[in-house]
Amino acid sequence: MSHAYTREMHPLAFVVSHWTNLCAMVFLTLSGLYIHYPIFPGFMGAARGTHNFWMFVLLINLVVRLVMGFTLKTSKLAGGREKELDIKNFLPQAENRHQLWPTIKYYLFLKKEHPLGGKYNSLQKFAYVLTVPLILLAAYTGFALWGPTSQWSFFLAGTTMVANWFNGGVGGAALMPMRIVHYWTMWAILSFTFIHVYLANIYGFDADRIMFAWKETGTDHA
Amino acid sequence: MAYEDRAFAEQLAARGVTRRDFVKFCGSVAAMLGLSESMVPTIASAVESAAGSKLYPAVWVNGGACTGCTESMAQATYPDVATVVLDILSMNYMETVMMAMGADAEKALYDTVNNNEGKAIMIYEGSVMKGWDGNALRVAGEPSLKILDDLAPKVAAIIAVGSCAVDGGWVKAGPNTADATGVSMYLAEKGIKTPVINLPTCPVNPEWIVAMVVDVLLLGELESGAILGKLDAQGRPKLIFGQTIHDNCPRRGHFENGEFVYQFGSPEEAKGYCLYAMGCKGPQTQTNCPIVRWNNQTSWCVESGSPCIGCGNFNWVDNGAPFLGRMRKVAIGSGSHNGGFAPGVAGAAVGGVVAAALGVHAIGMAATGRLGNMPDTEDVKEHDRKKGGDK
Repeated sequence: MSHAYTREMHPLAFVVSHWTNLCAMVFLTLSGLYIHYPIFPGFMGAARGTHNFWMFVLLINLVVRLVMGFTLKTSKLAGGREKELDIKNFLPQAENRHQLWPTIKYYLFLKKEHPLGGKYNSLQKFAYVLTVPLILLAAYTGFALWGPTSQWSFFLAGTTMVANWFNGGVGGAALMPMRIVHYWTMWAILSFTFIHVYLANIYGFDADRIMFAWKETGTDHA
Repeated sequence: MAYEDRAFAEQLAARGVTRRDFVKFCGSVAAMLGLSESMVPTIASAVESAAGSKLYPAVWVNGGACTGCTESMAQATYPDVATVVLDILSMNYMETVMMAMGADAEKALYDTVNNNEGKAIMIYEGSVMKGWDGNALRVAGEPSLKILDDLAPKVAAIIAVGSCAVDGGWVKAGPNTADATGVSMYLAEKGIKTPVINLPTCPVNPEWIVAMVVDVLLLGELESGAILGKLDAQGRPKLIFGQTIHDNCPRRGHFENGEFVYQFGSPEEAKGYCLYAMGCKGPQTQTNCPIVRWNNQTSWCVESGSPCIGCGNFNWVDNGAPFLGRMRKVAIGSGSHNGGFAPGVAGAAVGGVVAAALGVHAIGMAATGRLGNMPDTEDVKEHDRKKGGDK
C-alpha cells in the first residue's frame, strides 16, 4: 500500500493523455524496430505508416499535455485534493526543498523513512521533465531522416553536426549517424519507461488504477 | 532545326549516332539540368555550334585517385552521343591518356590555364592529399597541392568528379594517414573562391559530367552565375543529387510490400526482392543512379543485384561500412576504423543494464520489506530536523 490516489491528482484529461502516450510509445517502438531491421517479411509499408501516424499523435499529445500543464489545476500533494496550477508540480516547490539528497538516499536504502515531498518527489520531477526533450529529440532526429523533411536546412544542420561528431569533424551530411542517434533515443525513452513502470508499481498497483481507469484508492470515495 | 551544319552531321554519322539519338540525348541532358523540353533545341544547337567551332580549354587533374573516374569516362565501348559533347573540351592535360610526358606535359597544364585565365575548366579527380606537407602525393617532382595552389584561382570553375575529389572519398576513410580531403574543403582552407561543382559517387557517372559541361560552358550558366543557384549546400547539382536512390529504385515496390532478400543465394534474391535487409544504403544516398544508370544506360548496382553501398554519400566509407550491415559501427570522434561497437548492441546493453539494475533494486526493496508496502513518511524534513537540532 502507498498513499491515497485522488482524481484531483490526475484529472480525466491526463488519463486520456497517458493512454495516448502509452499507445504511441508501443506502436512507435515496435514499428521502429521493424523498420530498423525487418525481421519477418510483409510488413514494411504498414510499419512505416504506423510509425508516421503515431509520431504525429505523440507530438500533438505532447503539445496538448504541455498546454494542459499551464491551464489545468491538479492537486499539490500526493493523495491530496487541494489544487494548484499543474505545471508547478514539475518545478521546484517548497515541499521538495532540500529533499533531493534524502530522496536519493531513500532509494539507495540509506534512509528508512519515505522523504516528504510534493505530488512528485525531486527525482520524479527531473525524470518527467526530461521526457519532453527526449520526445523532441526523437522527433527532430526522425524528421531529419524522413524524406519530405530531411533536406530542410533546420534538419540538415543537425544531420551535418551529428555526422561531424561521429567522424572527427569530417562527416558531411550523411544520414547514417542521425539514424543511429534516432535509434539510441528510443533506448533512452525505453529506459525511462522501465524505471517509470518499476517505481509506479513497487508499492502496489494503485497508481495504475487512477492512471488507467481513473479509480480512486485509499480515499473516502474508494 | 535542320541539318544546317554538314560537318556536325558527319561527326554524328562517324559515331554511328542518328539525329534522333542526338535529340533524345539532348532531352536527357535537359532533364538533368532541370530545363523544360522546350530547351532541347537550344541545347542541341548549342552543342551543334560548339562542336563545329571552338574548343573549350580544359585540364583534367588527378589527385590521390585510383583513376576509376577516368575509367568511367572511358567506359564507352563504342563512340556514343556523350563524346559529341565531351569532344568540345580541349583536354590539354589528362595524365592517363595524354601523349606528352615530363616537362612538356606540365607546361601544357600551366599554359592552358595561364593563357585562358578565368576561362578554362579544371576537372579534378581524386582526393587532395595534405599529409606530410603535401608530400603524400607528388606530381612532377612537387607536392601535388602546388597544382591547386597555383591554378585553382585562375580557372573559371572546378568540377570535382568522384567522391574523392568531393570530400576525400575512400582515401579519407580512417585512419587517413595521408590526410586526404576534398577540393572544396581544401580551397576553403586556402581562401580560394573559385566555384566548385561537386559530383560524388565512386566512380563518377560520365552523364553528369556531360550535363555540367553543357550547363557551364554551352548555356553560359557559369558566367551568369545561375549555376550556383542550382547547387545544394554541399555544392552538388540539386537535380542530380536531390532525391534518394530509394525514391526511384525499381525494387521499391518490394520494399513497401516487405519483400526482402535476407541472404544471397536465396529464392528471395532470385526473385529480385528489396536488398534493404542486406544493408542497402539506397534510403540514405542521394543520387539519380536508378534513372541515369551506368555504362551507356545499361544497368546499375541495385539492378545488377548488389545493395547500394552509398558511394554518393559524404565520408561514405566510414559512414557506410560494413556495407552489408544495416548500421555502421560507432567509435565517437574517430570514425569506425578503430573497431568501435555496434549501435544496436549498445542500445540493447543500456536497456539491459537499466532493467538489471531495477531487478537488483527490487531485491533490495523486498529485503527491506518495502515491496508492496511503502514505509512511513518522515514527519519533518531531514534538513529542518538538523536545523532544529542546531538550535
